[in-house]
Amino acid sequence: MPDSFKMTNLPFSLLDDKEQKVLRSSLDIGYYQKGECIMTAGEEPEGVFIILKGRVGESEVVEEGEVSQEHVFVHYTNEDYFGGWSAIRGKAIHNFIAEEETICHVLPTKTLLDLMASNNLFADYFQQNLTAKTEIVQQHGKDQDMAEFMLAKVSDGLVREPLVIMEGTTIREATLLMREKKSDCLLVKRGNRYGMVTGTDLLDAVIVNEMSMDSELAEIASYRLITVKPDDYLFNALIIMTQQHIERVVVMRDAEMTGIVELTDVLSYFSSHSHVIGLRIERAQTVEDLKEAAKGLDDLIKALVSTGVKTRFVMDLLAAMNGRIIAKLFNIIIPSDMQPHVCLLVMGSEGRGEQIMKTDQDNAIIHRDGLVWPAMQETLNRFSKTLIEFGFPPCPGNIMVSNPAWVRSLGDWTKMLQDWADKCDGDAQMNLAIALDAKPVAGNPAIFKASRNWFMRHLRNNDVFFSHFAKASLEFDTPLTFFGNLKDKGELDIKKGGIFPIVHGIRSIALEYRVKPTNTFERIEALVELGQIKEKHGKDITEALSLFISLRLRQQIKRMECSDDGHDQTPNVIELQSLDKLERDLLRDALHIVKGFKKHLELRYHLGG
Amino acid sequence: MIIPRAVRRIKEKYDHKSGPHSHLFEPYDGDEVVSLDCETTSLDVKQGEIVSIGAVKIRGRKVLSSERLDIKLKPPKSLTGDSIKIHKIRESDLAEGIDIEDALQQVLDFVGNRPILGYYVNYDIRMLDKFIRPSYGFGLPNKAIELSHVYHDIIKWKAIGGNVDLRFDTISKQLDIPMLERHTAIGDALTVALMYVRLKYGDPPEAHY
Repeated sequence: MPDSFKMTNLPFSLLDDKEQKVLRSSLDIGYYQKGECIMTAGEEPEGVFIILKGRVGESEVVEEGEVSQEHVFVHYTNEDYFGGWSAIRGKAIHNFIAEEETICHVLPTKTLLDLMASNNLFADYFQQNLTAKTEIVQQHGKDQDMAEFMLAKVSDGLVREPLVIMEGTTIREATLLMREKKSDCLLVKRGNRYGMVTGTDLLDAVIVNEMSMDSELAEIASYRLITVKPDDYLFNALIIMTQQHIERVVVMRDAEMTGIVELTDVLSYFSSHSHVIGLRIERAQTVEDLKEAAKGLDDLIKALVSTGVKTRFVMDLLAAMNGRIIAKLFNIIIPSDMQPHVCLLVMGSEGRGEQIMKTDQDNAIIHRDGLVWPAMQETLNRFSKTLIEFGFPPCPGNIMVSNPAWVRSLGDWTKMLQDWADKCDGDAQMNLAIALDAKPVAGNPAIFKASRNWFMRHLRNNDVFFSHFAKASLEFDTPLTFFGNLKDKGELDIKKGGIFPIVHGIRSIALEYRVKPTNTFERIEALVELGQIKEKHGKDITEALSLFISLRLRQQIKRMECSDDGHDQTPNVIELQSLDKLERDLLRDALHIVKGFKKHLELRYHLGG
Repeated sequence: MIIPRAVRRIKEKYDHKSGPHSHLFEPYDGDEVVSLDCETTSLDVKQGEIVSIGAVKIRGRKVLSSERLDIKLKPPKSLTGDSIKIHKIRESDLAEGIDIEDALQQVLDFVGNRPILGYYVNYDIRMLDKFIRPSYGFGLPNKAIELSHVYHDIIKWKAIGGNVDLRFDTISKQLDIPMLERHTAIGDALTVALMYVRLKYGDPPEAHY
């Protein structure tokens, strides 16, 4: 096929001219009707299929009692390929069913194997995905898809039964029991609360604190347990453990404890490198170590997205990872005697935990009033420079710690916020919006909390301010036509059209009701709880925002792969042609939700006109 | 003298019954079809000359683009301004073209006795016949399948009254088939092949006429 087959897409772009010729000359085109089975599980596949047009679902028949049910893991659309693994194994692993009329290029298995034999990179690309998958299959003893695996729930067989002992047990008895049960951790029941004791706690108690062997175990247990629910994603448990530097979380169903999940178990479960990166960040001693660890993040995100993990979880994971990187770098660069006196903030999308690819660094420092540290600015410049080396691009608005305007004492900082709030001009509003999404990542968070709480009190009942502030979210038109269809035929700026109005509108309401979380999704949840947004609306807005973000992310990754230097020049553009019909419909509906939300803001803040 | 094609074909079959090309006259009983397209220098068969020939086999519902014919011919004398504008083939593009005799042999070998599919296929067949007849003594005996007729037969039940728009671009749009390289022989042959498969095996297009 001369032109209809895009050689520029991975992995085919890895082939050299001669190999591409071989590939071209052996491609066939297949036509499949809606509902037709392109590949049936267990049968020998014809080869790898590359979709020219249409949509294919990969599914498995799940027998649930009498009823068998199709369980779809992944959808493939234009330019995606599928069936690589099946072709190499010589047996289809799942059903591949055309969900609409589909035209596919078919690359025969024989040619695929020939090309893999002649081109190492090409073979690696196919096998890289495969090794990860194969490992999982070995672990589970049955075919399971990566995407499904990433969405595993806490309750999916990882919960360990904990060793629970009653109040009144001594340290000696507990130690013997732990040895007998070969356990490293146990729970003490005190009244109706549980406390956790680990091997380290026992050691500390006896050796460091020189407590007697017969003292009460309940004394040394820690009762502030970090918990997850059984139906939480395992992913979330991992995020919590990464954030809190802990190795176990307790699983609670409502008020009842059902078990514990251990980091080592999650680790062995997640054969992907997400945790490996986390560990490398943790272990890094020097800036170089850390840089190496940070490099892996982009690949991780791509891998997660391509396997269909929900964007919101990817965002959470990435925010946790980026936070760790920045905090670690802070610990390395900032002298330890200064650390308690300063607080490093990340702001903007990073502060909200909503960035996906590495975006500009927006950060600031608040330090204690009257801090004497002559080398501060110089150190901070080094900090910013190192982050740039790590691949966090510098902020075009120069909102970073290398700019003295964003390094303030607590008094100056609050004064600055106050000035902006009084001013109401465009720049001030924008700076304020960025600063309001600030989240402390390193240093002493108390400094930040003091400033935030002061500012929220300061704004109480200042209706004029909120009116002005919320107005910015109406600045850009929603890209819908009079008849409610998508306006632009070609492309659309999703940030202006969809993301910004929601984020800013929610930010305004959240500020008014002094909601502390910075993440937009969390803000929506909090506002729903406060009764400021109806539950249904909250859900709609959440869905719309997730859609915008995941569409944007998919296009960003595509563009990054196509561009030479791996950078995306137009991160907020959505090319409408590259969406399939379903996605366009979803996008249109989501934009209608944005429109409705803007109406709501108009009424709420009297912004009519 | 104008002899109807059918009569002429019977005669030619009789004449070549024992010749080296007798297999071309056998009735075809397989499930393959060949989609064929020629780019020419004129739409008038008498004046036109062939610039390139593209053909691709269809087996069942699969377009075998791996088994295809993509021939460029030596530049004919009549390659001039007007047609260049349409198919964008210049004389220099045909510098490595092959002789028409070789091309015809390849076409006959490729097509065999399979039915020939095309868009305004009779034009292509007559064009080829013009060159085949002098050297082989017969015209292409294959059954011809006209894409626009296939389309018309399916669409007419849906169209009320008026005429069915049979333009190539319209058909491709109605069937939602991407046009692969319009105005190259192989590209058009592939597009037609896909449209044919779509019409033959897919649901009739839901469209407004």
